Amino acid sequence: MAALIEAVAAISGRTGAFAPTGLRLTDDAARQCLRRSGHEASDIDLLINAGIYHDRNLGEPAVAALIQQDIGANPGHPVAGHHGTFSFDLLNGTSGVLSAVQLVDGLMASGTVQLAMIVAGDVDPDPGHSPGFKVRPAGAAMLLRHQAGEAGFKAFKFQTFPEFEDLFQSSVSWHPASGPSLPLRPSGHNVLAVVELPGYLERSVACTASSAAAFLEENELRPADIDLLVAAHTSPGFADMVADQVGIPRTAVAHLNEAFQHTHTAQVIARFAEAQTRRRLHPETRVLVATAGAGITVGLALYSGS
Amino acid sequence: MALIGGESPGDTEVMQSTTTAVPWMLTEVAGHGAAQVATPFVSRIAAVGYQQPDGILTSRELLDGAAHHPHIDLERLTGIHERRVVGPGEDSLTLAVGAARDSLAHAGTPGSEVEMIISCSITRYRGGMTQRYEPPLSMAIKTAIGAPNALSFDITNACAGTLTGVFIINDFIRRGVIRCGMAVSGEYISGLARGAAQDVRNVLSSQLASLTLGDAGVAVLLRRADEGVAGIDLAAFTTLAEHSRLCLGYLSGTRPGAIMYTKARKLQGAAIRDVPPLLEEALGEMGIDLSQVDYVIPHQTSSRAIRKGGQALTEHLGGKAGHIVDNLEEYGNTASTSHFVALHRYLEEGRFKKGDRVVLLALASGLEIGVVSFTMDEMVENYGRPD
Repeated sequence: MAALIEAVAAISGRTGAFAPTGLRLTDDAARQCLRRSGHEASDIDLLINAGIYHDRNLGEPAVAALIQQDIGANPGHPVAGHHGTFSFDLLNGTSGVLSAVQLVDGLMASGTVQLAMIVAGDVDPDPGHSPGFKVRPAGAAMLLRHQAGEAGFKAFKFQTFPEFEDLFQSSVSWHPASGPSLPLRPSGHNVLAVVELPGYLERSVACTASSAAAFLEENELRPADIDLLVAAHTSPGFADMVADQVGIPRTAVAHLNEAFQHTHTAQVIARFAEAQTRRRLHPETRVLVATAGAGITVGLALYSGS
Repeated sequence: MALIGGESPGDTEVMQSTTTAVPWMLTEVAGHGAAQVATPFVSRIAAVGYQQPDGILTSRELLDGAAHHPHIDLERLTGIHERRVVGPGEDSLTLAVGAARDSLAHAGTPGSEVEMIISCSITRYRGGMTQRYEPPLSMAIKTAIGAPNALSFDITNACAGTLTGVFIINDFIRRGVIRCGMAVSGEYISGLARGAAQDVRNVLSSQLASLTLGDAGVAVLLRRADEGVAGIDLAAFTTLAEHSRLCLGYLSGTRPGAIMYTKARKLQGAAIRDVPPLLEEALGEMGIDLSQVDYVIPHQTSSRAIRKGGQALTEHLGGKAGHIVDNLEEYGNTASTSHFVALHRYLEEGRFKKGDRVVLLALASGLEIGVVSFTMDEMVENYGRPD
């Protein structure tokens, strides 16, 4: 009994004038995901948004609620004989989607949820004004259903390495403008700044590899047992480096469409989408999902199924 | 229990209630039939921690400094005489850590026993008004309390954040995955109140609701309940997303921190219409009625809203809870922490007795509606101070 991927979708964005918003990209990915699954939006019990960076740095409500409204997942008054949809945001960097999957898997095991959607959107909240922000815009969605068989997500492991907290930090703070300003009317701008120190990628790889090696052993698996490595990080090269350190053949690394390089929370789903396009996901495919991001936070999961 | 009437979205008729097999809300109910195999355990609230900010700001002081001298009797309008606000060196992180430590102290639990920690706040200020995106705040909190191996992540769900965290942890405990988890929130939101005071001209201002805000840190420690202990009977949530754009909070384009615009009347109207039948559904899932609830703690927005909400509940459900908590006078609206600021205060004042049934009612931008019901137990013995 586990959460099984019913459908995935990923849409890459573009920057510049008239670029779609992060919300628009995520909405579109959610709709495409539903079309591929054959489900209606009203079938969704739970909607979790794992995207961190939002248009205009929106903090309230949860962006998931906006997406729920936009795709028409039971937005209105309660209706007799039908379930509604509950939505909220989850923030855990590149591992956010995996954290959301773990929650969904548990709520399915307890019989609380039958069908859930996880979405993730990456966007510069203030395009052109965010020093160090290299994340490419994208929206992604994954639909999960509860199924009683052997396929699906089987195990999860999350590990944090706070001693490396300084290697990647992003925050918004007030930058006063030079020159005079009115009393009580400060002149300046809230600026999102990202600081990535040298060694962030290498340390992410090392942390992921050590966690993954232990994870495989705990699940009585060898690296050679892994058919597909879905590994996500904002830096290109992460997946191959993790494969090398863990001892998984590079041929097992799930490709990432060029358009999704440097994506962030959407990347895990984008890799699953590419694997599906390339027909690399079969019922017997044994998948190791490995994500790493700021913290350093490592997220791991085992998955099998079409 | 589900609802009849108004079959299509957008219908404005007040719902009647009846019994059907499909609850509208996503519902976790303790000890229910076949689900009991998958969820053999019950969780309980072992402790509620609170970190009080150092400063106090009265409603009068807030508007005395207003740029446009709005003629608003804020205290009369909202029931808020004063609210706590951060002092030097305080922020979302310090409030959260302080509350987390307080909850552990009340429970007599070492941090190392916490297996899961969720940071549930809207604000994640760390180092003054620097809103941190990455790494997640939960990492810093668990490090501070000595729970380095706890599963951790942040969630945000407007003013329903902490109760959403409780909903999530309740599921992990019920399934037996963990024995102990913590939902924690440090809200530093008084900056929105101060900023709104510079913009508000009259009671029609879309920033009026921001004048109610105050700061707080809370932490809810959940543990697996011993057999026979009632604990958390139900945790249920839904999002009526057609109202999702009625309250929007962004980082401001013109001043430090955030700004929030609220269509308060429309939100209030939606709440008055939709909360009663949904609470009735939740109570029905537990097989009880409102008169069997000793305390209802709704989200704390304004005294008037709480009064009107209480009246709506009585009109719809045909009964009255023992007490509907209004904790606004000295604390204001503390966003995702508001339920537990009230709960902590009532615990310290010795107002509860073992066996009291308490219903926490979430009502938040989204429109998030949630119900968490639990029975007060030995936790009351770990609190108490003279008024």
